[in-house]
Amino acid sequence: MNTMIIDGLSYALPLLIIACGGIFSERSGVTNLALEGFLGFGAFTGGLFVALTSSWFANGSTVPMYLAFLFAMLGGGVYALLFALLCIKFRANQVIAGVVINILSVALTGFLTSQINSSVFGEASNKFQLGVSPRWTIPGVSQIPVLGAIFTKFYPFEILIVVLVIFLNYLLYKTRFGMHLRAAGDNPHAVDTAGISVVRVRFAAVVIAGMLAGLGGMCYAYSISTNFSPSIYFGAGYLAIAAMIFGNWKLMPTLAACLIFGLARSGAYQLVGYLKLSSNFTNLAMAIPYALTLLLLIFFSKSNRAPRALGEIYDKAKR
Amino acid sequence: MTETIVEMRHITKRFPGIIANDDINLSIGKGEIFALLGENGAGKSTLMSMLFGLYEPDEGEFLVRGQPVRIDSPNQAVALDIGMVHQHFQLVSNFTVTENIIMGVETVKRRLGIFPAVDLKNSENKVAALSEQYGLEVDPRAVIDDLQISERQRVEILKMLYRNAEILIFDEPTAVLTPQEIQFLLQIIRNLRDNGKTVILITHKLDEIKQVADRCAILNRGRLIAVRDVRTTSTQEMARLMVGHDIAFTLAKKPAQFGEEILRVDKLTVENEEKYEALRQVSFSVHRGEIYALAGVAGNGQVELADAICGLLQAKSGRVYFRQTDITQESVRTRNLRGLSYIPEDRQSVGLILDFSLQDNLVMKRYYQPGFRKGLWINREHWQSYAKRLSQAYDIRSANGIQTIVRSMSGGNQQKVIIAREIDQDSDLQIYVQPTRGLDIGAITSIREKLIQERDHGKAILLISLELDEIMACADTIGVLYHGSLQTEAPAGQLDLETVGAYMMGAKHE
Repeated sequence: MNTMIIDGLSYALPLLIIACGGIFSERSGVTNLALEGFLGFGAFTGGLFVALTSSWFANGSTVPMYLAFLFAMLGGGVYALLFALLCIKFRANQVIAGVVINILSVALTGFLTSQINSSVFGEASNKFQLGVSPRWTIPGVSQIPVLGAIFTKFYPFEILIVVLVIFLNYLLYKTRFGMHLRAAGDNPHAVDTAGISVVRVRFAAVVIAGMLAGLGGMCYAYSISTNFSPSIYFGAGYLAIAAMIFGNWKLMPTLAACLIFGLARSGAYQLVGYLKLSSNFTNLAMAIPYALTLLLLIFFSKSNRAPRALGEIYDKAKR
Repeated sequence: MTETIVEMRHITKRFPGIIANDDINLSIGKGEIFALLGENGAGKSTLMSMLFGLYEPDEGEFLVRGQPVRIDSPNQAVALDIGMVHQHFQLVSNFTVTENIIMGVETVKRRLGIFPAVDLKNSENKVAALSEQYGLEVDPRAVIDDLQISERQRVEILKMLYRNAEILIFDEPTAVLTPQEIQFLLQIIRNLRDNGKTVILITHKLDEIKQVADRCAILNRGRLIAVRDVRTTSTQEMARLMVGHDIAFTLAKKPAQFGEEILRVDKLTVENEEKYEALRQVSFSVHRGEIYALAGVAGNGQVELADAICGLLQAKSGRVYFRQTDITQESVRTRNLRGLSYIPEDRQSVGLILDFSLQDNLVMKRYYQPGFRKGLWINREHWQSYAKRLSQAYDIRSANGIQTIVRSMSGGNQQKVIIAREIDQDSDLQIYVQPTRGLDIGAITSIREKLIQERDHGKAILLISLELDEIMACADTIGVLYHGSLQTEAPAGQLDLETVGAYMMGAKHE
């Protein structure tokens, strides 16, 4: 039970921050299928930073990890700028642009990783080695039955994400920027009439999406594999989109959806172990969150309401 | 006249192929209700759009409070205390009234001394106070999605007042309202004036001008024809100036001669796409030589009724009879062949294929019939001669003859295409939904005359309209739909405008 909660949370929270990126982008009216590409590129940037600077820091230092998170956000944000340029400035179809951004991210990061490894480090590898993230346990509260697992063996990034989500909630619902962002996703003309630039709001929203997805990707790189490799593209970006849709494009319900996915996955692993099934079944267990996605889609898609202007290319002249 | 607040000097605006405004000189006084009257395409909206900064004039200048100004954006206009309520409201549907009103001019307070946050509570109080002052009756905390059209319009008015607008422009504000709502709005407009605001009203409805306006300017084909004091000018005079010639206010109409029953709807219940019963247990019948007019505010089941009679929607229960034959389960084409014509409300998406030519749109209901084809092939020559004949008979005007793409044609001519196609079927039953919406007086009169002419030829006509004037002018029998059920039904002579209006609002029940 404890393991299920511990693993579930460490899987669900990065998923949540990626989905938050999706929420920001889509609530501003930009359909975002590019989260997978954003998170990969962000993780690549963070991984590259760690690889290049590994000699600067003492062995076992956690400073590179925190800086890697920062760089992953930068990398994701810059890469998202490309997507924003395509969709908002050049008015490309958002679905197609998103798919292209994903494919490009896989190709580009794979290529660059191998090239940099061979030219800078002189070794043939498609991975950047990262350090091992510490895991913290809060004494006392961790002893509480069941709930104590939340405070046991958690990654530092989990705290970071919780704080960030509280901030994002404030940003989206309390500030002027958040108000303009949500309005742009419902009626961009109204935003324009109020004297606010729709283009600027949407650009900012997409860049935030890139930063958050990049951070989420870096978290997975530290928690699942301790390195950056093409296996970072395991579909978390798409799962985040599903979580966002179940969450009705709202932060708290999306948190719930992410937790369900996380716990379903870790629960399935536990089940495989408990039933003493062969390791082949682990692969099957990994598919459980996706199967759940499909099932939930059937039930939730009817009651959901997407942002009204989602996917609509904003044209000032059309009234 | 008191002091001048807005002055226009030699304003000229050209669009490709047309002069929208031609050397307009006008001055509008502070604190008056000034109406701009003209038919569609007369240039009223263009002129006001320039004052609001949506376009810039090619020649001439605006003076606001005596100062020459260049208004190149709506922001500029707002800075000069000019506000505008557009025909299409600019509201965020999932926001509250207050959030919509303050957007762009939010006041910010600091949470915990650091985090800036939008100050909703204070703004709500301010909105409530404004609403109270001008008698707008708007709840600052209501969500736009839950509001009726008329309430949304009042939110737009509040938006202007919140920005301290002194000059308020209304673009055809009553087009979407019921008679009762129109009276309420006109009262608000008077309140605005009594509080010292200047109101500019764009409209083509003469009776409204007569009711509220102090002065009115009449435009025709981009030119300023006259500026008149409303009190000393008759509606006939204004109408003559607007159209350029005399028009008859009442349609010449012989008494109706009812024949056999053509359409009978029996306890019809229809669900719309959201699985909501948009129409409940409606029964009525239409005879040869009768115009049966259904009145009602938009969204009370009219479209569903028409679609169900034509076969575009399946009935949930109840029956539709055409000349005593049950057609409830029949396909659209079978019904058409029996003799049913449909002029739909949404002429652009239901009535026409906009990117097809005039010719192809005209043969749309007949292309498969003998004469229109040679074996498996299209009979081009016949299509052409047929389309030419119809264009001439119905006076359809287009730039490139029958090969003109329909999208490029004017609204009035697009409507003529549908009417030509449908009437030429020689159907016993003709259903018209909002046939004159968005058309100017000339086109409206000709379509209404056509309707009566068809009736006199012994057709059964079902007219569904949101325009009460139209219902009163054409109907032999009037029915009123409210919330999907028939509120009342009576010969036209027995119902007056106010009574029908009250039924439309659900204020009266049988």
